[in-house]
Amino acid sequence: MDFPENLPSPDIGRLEQIVSHFFPKALHIVLDSRIPSLQSRGRTRDRSSGGLNVKKSDKWFNLIMGDRPAALDKLHSWHRNILDSMIIDIILIHPTDDDDDHGNVRSAETVIERWVVQYENPLIMSPQTSDPSTRYQKVYKKAIILLRSLYAQTRLLPAYRVSRQLSSSLASSRYEMVYKVSSFSDVFSPPVTETMKEFRFSPVEVPPGRLCASVTYRSDLSDFNLGAHITLPPRIITDYVGSPATDPMRFFPSPGQSFEATSFHFQGRAGRPPLTTSSASERPHSWTSGFHRPPTPNQSFSPDFHWSRTDGGDSHHQLSPPFSPSGSPSTPRGSYSPRINVRPGTAPVTIPSSATFNRYVSSNFSEPSRNPLPPFSPKSTRRSPSSQDSLPGIALYKSSRSGESPSGLINHYPGHKLTKDSKYDSGRFSGLLSSSGSPRFGFSRSPSRLSSDLEDPDCSCPFDFDDVDESVLQYRLKCQSLDRRKTSSSISQSLPIGRKSQDAAVGVLVQMLKTAPPLRQDSSTYMASSMSGVQREGSSVSGAESEFSMARSTSDALEELRNYKQLKDLLLSKSKSVGGATRVH
Amino acid sequence: MNCQVCQLKELEVESFEIREVLRCILHTIVFHRALGLIRPKDIDLELFDITYVQCGEIEVEKKIDDRIEHFISWIEKHPNKKKTQLCVSFYKAKSKQPWYASKTDHRSFWERWYINLNVDVVLHPTKSPVGNSKLVMDLGDASEARSCRRKQLEQSLQQVLFQIIKFVNDKKDHVPPPINDDREIYCPFEITITSASSDSTFGKDMWKRILLNSGHPSMIS
Repeated sequence: MDFPENLPSPDIGRLEQIVSHFFPKALHIVLDSRIPSLQSRGRTRDRSSGGLNVKKSDKWFNLIMGDRPAALDKLHSWHRNILDSMIIDIILIHPTDDDDDHGNVRSAETVIERWVVQYENPLIMSPQTSDPSTRYQKVYKKAIILLRSLYAQTRLLPAYRVSRQLSSSLASSRYEMVYKVSSFSDVFSPPVTETMKEFRFSPVEVPPGRLCASVTYRSDLSDFNLGAHITLPPRIITDYVGSPATDPMRFFPSPGQSFEATSFHFQGRAGRPPLTTSSASERPHSWTSGFHRPPTPNQSFSPDFHWSRTDGGDSHHQLSPPFSPSGSPSTPRGSYSPRINVRPGTAPVTIPSSATFNRYVSSNFSEPSRNPLPPFSPKSTRRSPSSQDSLPGIALYKSSRSGESPSGLINHYPGHKLTKDSKYDSGRFSGLLSSSGSPRFGFSRSPSRLSSDLEDPDCSCPFDFDDVDESVLQYRLKCQSLDRRKTSSSISQSLPIGRKSQDAAVGVLVQMLKTAPPLRQDSSTYMASSMSGVQREGSSVSGAESEFSMARSTSDALEELRNYKQLKDLLLSKSKSVGGATRVH
Repeated sequence: MNCQVCQLKELEVESFEIREVLRCILHTIVFHRALGLIRPKDIDLELFDITYVQCGEIEVEKKIDDRIEHFISWIEKHPNKKKTQLCVSFYKAKSKQPWYASKTDHRSFWERWYINLNVDVVLHPTKSPVGNSKLVMDLGDASEARSCRRKQLEQSLQQVLFQIIKFVNDKKDHVPPPINDDREIYCPFEITITSASSDSTFGKDMWKRILLNSGHPSMIS
């Protein structure tokens, strides 16, 4: 750039520095707020470290943004001429209503924001009357204020919310936010300009020219139906399983029992009666603690969870889904932060279970239509930062897909041991195995099931978490082995895979009931059934034997009688014939 | 030095919304006047779908929270006063002052922001003698009205924030340059309550300023 020759050279250098550092700073601010993969690291809130650990380049304009990602440095490396404009397009990739020939949904790209930063160099330079030493201070001060307002503006525009939504979405949505940095761009078409608003920041005079910044943005993004297609982190719906107010006839246990091992404690928003024990066995739900634990007598829960935004230790970073786990491991007593107070009174069904079998058997499983189990939870995905490095050039495309991974089975949180074993892939419960045993909020499921859930926009995912104990796993293994042996194919086919263990238990019970000795003794059928019943139940062997011997002797006697009759008739007939023959002689 | 004044758009708030609204506005203003080396913090409001920025200074946060609590307690003591006004004043310390000058006289104010609030009384559901159904309907109407009002307040609050950004951008010359010193990260400011009706404290300060600026021989330093 040709700065005027009448300016002192140090002044030229400093002013040029302001301009040259302004561009990467503005780029960093905009992309940091829009593209999650380009968010800075090292921007801690600890003021005690002060500016000691801050890089010199980050101190420009007194705004610490953290370490600049390498991609940003590469992006800016092509912007060598400060007279070139820097145009940052924020593009939303979204599905359209049209389908292609193969029935796949098409995607479209829409520019939802355009940031323009440029240094305008006038053809005729006005004479500078101010003191050069103060000029630099004033210019720098104004550049600081401009960047402050640019930073605040990025948080106010609608694209910020969309970016946060996409980055926190647990499902791989068909939406994606990408950016393009160039020094030239196409003008918006008239229909587009009608939907867009413009905000021009006041330019900062940097002799001989001036720094200008502006943003053109879509004020309304509701046309893209983002809310319907992006699965947000699961929220606990407090009234999902009912309450005493909605279902007064339903039994709700009274409080009194604390959780063990896998319990969670949430602080609720609404006040509800605390949990109690109940002598009636109730079907635990996926959101209950200890769902997979072996049943203990007189201990059953039907909690009702409420969720509140907890700070988790850092009150200044309140992330959107409404919750984020602190990740602290669970103690044997099971409490950890975020704390959840389990509330009672929301058990959907009181299901009687066989005392000789287990508490998880439910007669409701025989009627799949009445299955009170909640819908499967969505899969969780890990944010995979884009590591693509484009070549420097005039126009660069960078994409940052939120939450997509090649396998499609990812848990959001580290330290999580995923398993794709079909035995544990029950939609709600898989992906929860962890050697640490700490509670998890993630889920995993097969892509096929995920797609069916995503098709249902009303799919609510009230249950955030499960936890699996080692003993419970063995129990489930046992159930599933029983299932393989005894349950009929119809049962396994009619119910989802996730309920196989319980179905197995049901099948075994049904089998037992079928083969159990009937109340009314029937001689024709009793023998076969009692035979098998005797063979299985050792306690009733002696009784069955006596009954069996009685039945045997009666039938034998009858048969013997029949035989005797036949013999008698035969003998009589023969004697008659012999008598006739003797008389003749 | 000219004192720039910015009157922000009036907001109709309920008492439980005051804290969030004021925190958002005050921090946004101070953020644009904290010209020292800062680490910005993004804060999401709980009641509204808005994210604002703090300068990250604990002293600022504490000062703002204290003044907000003071304002809320003042509101509770004066329940009849619906229209209230908060003033955020940025100043520079004056070097020479007469011995009788008050603390505020040592200050040269270069910018004032007036935050206008219209504090609404909490809506109560109408008690109908007819029956529960009517009461339920009234409650439903009240909640619907409240959500509509909340949405309007959110839009108004956003407009106020845009207003702050626009004002900050339009007028930069009067702002004192940043001092390259870790001790002064932000421009010193004070937050005072200036209600629509006359306030004794406000009147006293006003008379003092008039006397000082009138050029009375005994007052001139």
